[in-house]
Amino acid sequence: MLKTIFIAQECPANALALNKDYNKVVIAGRNVFKIFSIEEEEFVEVCNLRVGKNLNLNFSCNDVAWNNIDDHILATAATNGAVVVWNLNRASRSKQEHVFVDHKRTVNKVCFNPVEANWLISGSQDGTMKTFDLRTKEVIKTFFSNTESVRDVQFSPHSHFTFASVSENGNVQLWDMRKTEKCVLQFTAHSGPIFACDWHSEKPCLATASRDKTIKVWDLSGRPLLEHTISTIASVGRIKWRPQSTFHIASVALVVDCTVNVWDVRRPYIPYAAFTKHKDVATGIAWRGSPDVLLTTSRDCTLYQHTFKDAVYPALHSNQKALDISPSGEIAFAFRINAGQSRQNKLAGTSRKPGNEEFWQASSALNVIRRVLNKELDWLLKCAEQYVLAGKPLADICDHNADVARRLGRLAVSLLWTTVKTLYTPRTSDHGHQTPSKEEQVDGEVEGERDNEIRREDDDDLGTRLGDSVGDFFFGDAEMDPLSMDFEINGLDGLISQDWGIPMEAFPLRHEILDRSPPPEQYTAPDSPDSADGEMQGLNLENSLSLKAIGSCKPMSWEAGVTLADALRSHAEQGDVQTPVCILIALGEKRSNLISHIEPVEQETWTFAYLDILSQQRMWLHSNQIIKLSWLPSVSQLNQQSTTVYTGCSYCNKPLTQAGWMCSKCDQSVVCSLCHQVVHGLYAWCQGCMHGGHLTHMKEWIEKKKFCPTGCGHACQYN
Amino acid sequence: MLFSPPKSISSEHKDVIHDVAFDHYGRRMATCSSDQFVMVWDKEQGDDNWKKSAEWKAHSGSVWKVAWAHPEFGQVLATCSFDRTAAVWEEIVGESYNIIGQKHWARRTNLVDSRTSVMDVKFAPKSLGLLLATCSADGVIRIYEAPDVMNLAQWTLQQEVPCKYQASCISWNPSYTRERRCTKYFKLNNSDKKEGEMKIHDLDNGYANYPFMVEDPDSYIVVPQVPMLAVGFDDQNCGANNRVVILQNITRLRRWNKTECSTSVTDHCTSSVTDPVHDLAFAPRLGRSYDLLAVATKDIKLYVLCQIMNSSFATVKFKLHLAANFEGHNSTVWRISWNSVGSILVSSGDDRCVRLWKQCPVGPYDKNEEDRGVSSPSKLLDSVQGQGRKYHWKCVGVIKAEGLNI
Repeated sequence: MLKTIFIAQECPANALALNKDYNKVVIAGRNVFKIFSIEEEEFVEVCNLRVGKNLNLNFSCNDVAWNNIDDHILATAATNGAVVVWNLNRASRSKQEHVFVDHKRTVNKVCFNPVEANWLISGSQDGTMKTFDLRTKEVIKTFFSNTESVRDVQFSPHSHFTFASVSENGNVQLWDMRKTEKCVLQFTAHSGPIFACDWHSEKPCLATASRDKTIKVWDLSGRPLLEHTISTIASVGRIKWRPQSTFHIASVALVVDCTVNVWDVRRPYIPYAAFTKHKDVATGIAWRGSPDVLLTTSRDCTLYQHTFKDAVYPALHSNQKALDISPSGEIAFAFRINAGQSRQNKLAGTSRKPGNEEFWQASSALNVIRRVLNKELDWLLKCAEQYVLAGKPLADICDHNADVARRLGRLAVSLLWTTVKTLYTPRTSDHGHQTPSKEEQVDGEVEGERDNEIRREDDDDLGTRLGDSVGDFFFGDAEMDPLSMDFEINGLDGLISQDWGIPMEAFPLRHEILDRSPPPEQYTAPDSPDSADGEMQGLNLENSLSLKAIGSCKPMSWEAGVTLADALRSHAEQGDVQTPVCILIALGEKRSNLISHIEPVEQETWTFAYLDILSQQRMWLHSNQIIKLSWLPSVSQLNQQSTTVYTGCSYCNKPLTQAGWMCSKCDQSVVCSLCHQVVHGLYAWCQGCMHGGHLTHMKEWIEKKKFCPTGCGHACQYN
Repeated sequence: MLFSPPKSISSEHKDVIHDVAFDHYGRRMATCSSDQFVMVWDKEQGDDNWKKSAEWKAHSGSVWKVAWAHPEFGQVLATCSFDRTAAVWEEIVGESYNIIGQKHWARRTNLVDSRTSVMDVKFAPKSLGLLLATCSADGVIRIYEAPDVMNLAQWTLQQEVPCKYQASCISWNPSYTRERRCTKYFKLNNSDKKEGEMKIHDLDNGYANYPFMVEDPDSYIVVPQVPMLAVGFDDQNCGANNRVVILQNITRLRRWNKTECSTSVTDHCTSSVTDPVHDLAFAPRLGRSYDLLAVATKDIKLYVLCQIMNSSFATVKFKLHLAANFEGHNSTVWRISWNSVGSILVSSGDDRCVRLWKQCPVGPYDKNEEDRGVSSPSKLLDSVQGQGRKYHWKCVGVIKAEGLNI
């Protein structure tokens, strides 16, 4: 088994070539020219060709080629325009056999004919290609490409008189060696310079690599036909087809990307495999005969032998199972479609190494599924819709909301609303019997069961009485106009007379809760798995305690606020922020003793979380109601942020800076584009062209027409 | 039936779709694929059909992830790609309709700082402003900020956090963090409750709902008010303790710091993640005092995350406690996502199934519930006992990709 091995040099190599037995490799660069034998564990230097007294530019190589028949013959393309032939069998230290100095500029590429070992071809920056005969040591023919420069030239493996050349203007030319005057075929392959080309060993296909970051595969059996386009992330410097695999090609980038990529041309978006050892861009690339071993040189001065055992498979890291869930509970998922053999693969286990076939057959099926039964969300939305948070006396609000929750099967929530009602609505009957003195004092002080409220009411005695006296009026008003909530809050205190009318109701009701509380609990658990049965237990426990306390004439020993705060918190802890926020809002002014037990941060977090859910569901009315009613400054500020509407004159487009619709420049008022009358009431206009008019007119117009009624040619947008 | 019939959408993506993302309201959907294209799908008003409203070649490599910004910032998408860049796109309203009436999305910026494939990109919760986090294959986490939310072309690289292992996924903590630290603290243990100190949960009275116990009586829980994000790593060589890294923003220093996470000692399950992490997701926090972080690896691990401040109030650290382990997929789990109220976790795995998970407290009537088979043809797959309180995580739905049997 071959291993990944490397050797580091002082200088970077520009190219490498393997001998015909694939056991030796030559690397060549500006300041390096060495031959290594490839051993099992390491590269062993066998020969340094960069020797001698006169190390001129002939030793500075752009490219190197190893004769594929005569194992001792090498050729290099020198940066000074020379083509140098080297003979390893020479007895002297210098192996230089012959120097062809026929090119006027740098030689980019040299290539031996695969069949006729004595034929060498070169492609140069001067725009010509020359064939050399190594026996006569003469130029056989010169081919003029009529381009600035030839970047690569490659003999066809299928017909040994044919070679392809690519040039910096993006053209590919196909030549017959016997015809120097004109190329057989020429076509523009890329929009930028082509840096390399490579013939497929079996098919009449040529791959080209360009600065435009693409590798293109051309079928040249007839007219050039673009078969595949691989888009890479950087300019492509070198390419080489992978032996024995029809669709794989290796590429290295000229800049940016240090990885050596192997692509499957049928899946041109992502490399099949990648070798990531190099620290700088790779310069030369060669397959070591087998499809599993690849040698590369790099600008980081190393020579690497890569094996597929150590390859990285980028597609494997990729996530092939897309999934998301929308706020309304829709689930979108896209799974890769498995081809026929996938089942087999599935049975084979979770071996994630891709078979060739599986790799390229890549596509996904996108599906969207709507969850019909989405209890939590339904609860939340229905509650949000149906809850009444203000505009009625607290008792009615609680009753209504408890009813809403009960009908939705949220018994724990329902119970909590009832509890709130019990704790926070004025109730005098029980005290009436037990603490008559207090009742005699002030009939408005029915909330006296909580000490702090007594204090407050003592302070606000006058206010309370005022509220009392005008209570009926405000209440009546509030019923007619549910929006006037501010008054209603005061008005609540004045509603005692109602409770007086049914003095016995409050007390039995509480007992009712007590008696009833176990049964709802039993249903709570199965029906609403997220409901806090444990919490409710605790809550009820406290409730019963409180009753005992009241019974023994110690009403101040228990603070309802603490317990209720705990209850709200426990709901929040379950992820239900709706209940605490709604209860706190519904309580109105009465929340003061409750929120003293809840961190402001918590209150804020709950409210913001609830508002965000409402906004996701686009329940703007409800979220705005929360904002409006909120007691937290940071929340109520939300809809007080300034909104600026920019207006402009429909004649001269000058921004209307002054108030009103009078343009200071045109000295006339903005009129409706359709009826040319001054608009009273709603004026609708397009932000794009400033033209508009009566809302109804514009609506009618935009239903039928796409463009602005003034004829300004703007495709108006009314959102 | 639990689900509506699945709607298959002909995506016209030419390669594997790597990500799909709903916008804030769930009315738009973006998909991205290895074919280097991004597509945007809109739901018609009053209609359940998704219609492609835009498609464009976004990158010169596979597009791994796509993310929506909060609509407050406009119709903005971020993408990240194998081509080592992340990009921010904005829909141009009103102009540049192409022939088939599609919307035009303009590239506002290209973030080219990464030297390797950018694996994930996520917008921060809107309370932090317009912030973007990316993570790349070389393990560098980058936080970008658009100082002017009206100018999407200008992004400054706020910070780079190197983590040396290949990162795969990011999740911001979506909780409503504000730029101030919570100064109040709750003492967990109730035994020496002092006057004025806040009782939060009484573990002995049986209604505590921290799903874990704090063994250290000197520990205090701080309501986290710091911006936080978690990053998962899928590097094969990555040690078990580095699979998930949590970054928190130190407001005082204006820096993102890696946070020391201690896992609970009383934990019976193995709490560290040993396998590559493919996805992670913070649940919406709502009113909870702790965070839930779901991690997709070979199975799904659900962590409870809370901030612990010691009694000297000097150091804040995170406590990570494994709350549940969902093994229903029996294979690698690739994606997970929480619904908007955090009640359901959906996951997709190599078993080619989408599974839905739901938390149910184990009450005395749980058996009853099981017998009656309420709520779904569900199977009790995972039951996990957290300290202090029993929790059941149930797989309440399975959607099979093949043939779509539900």
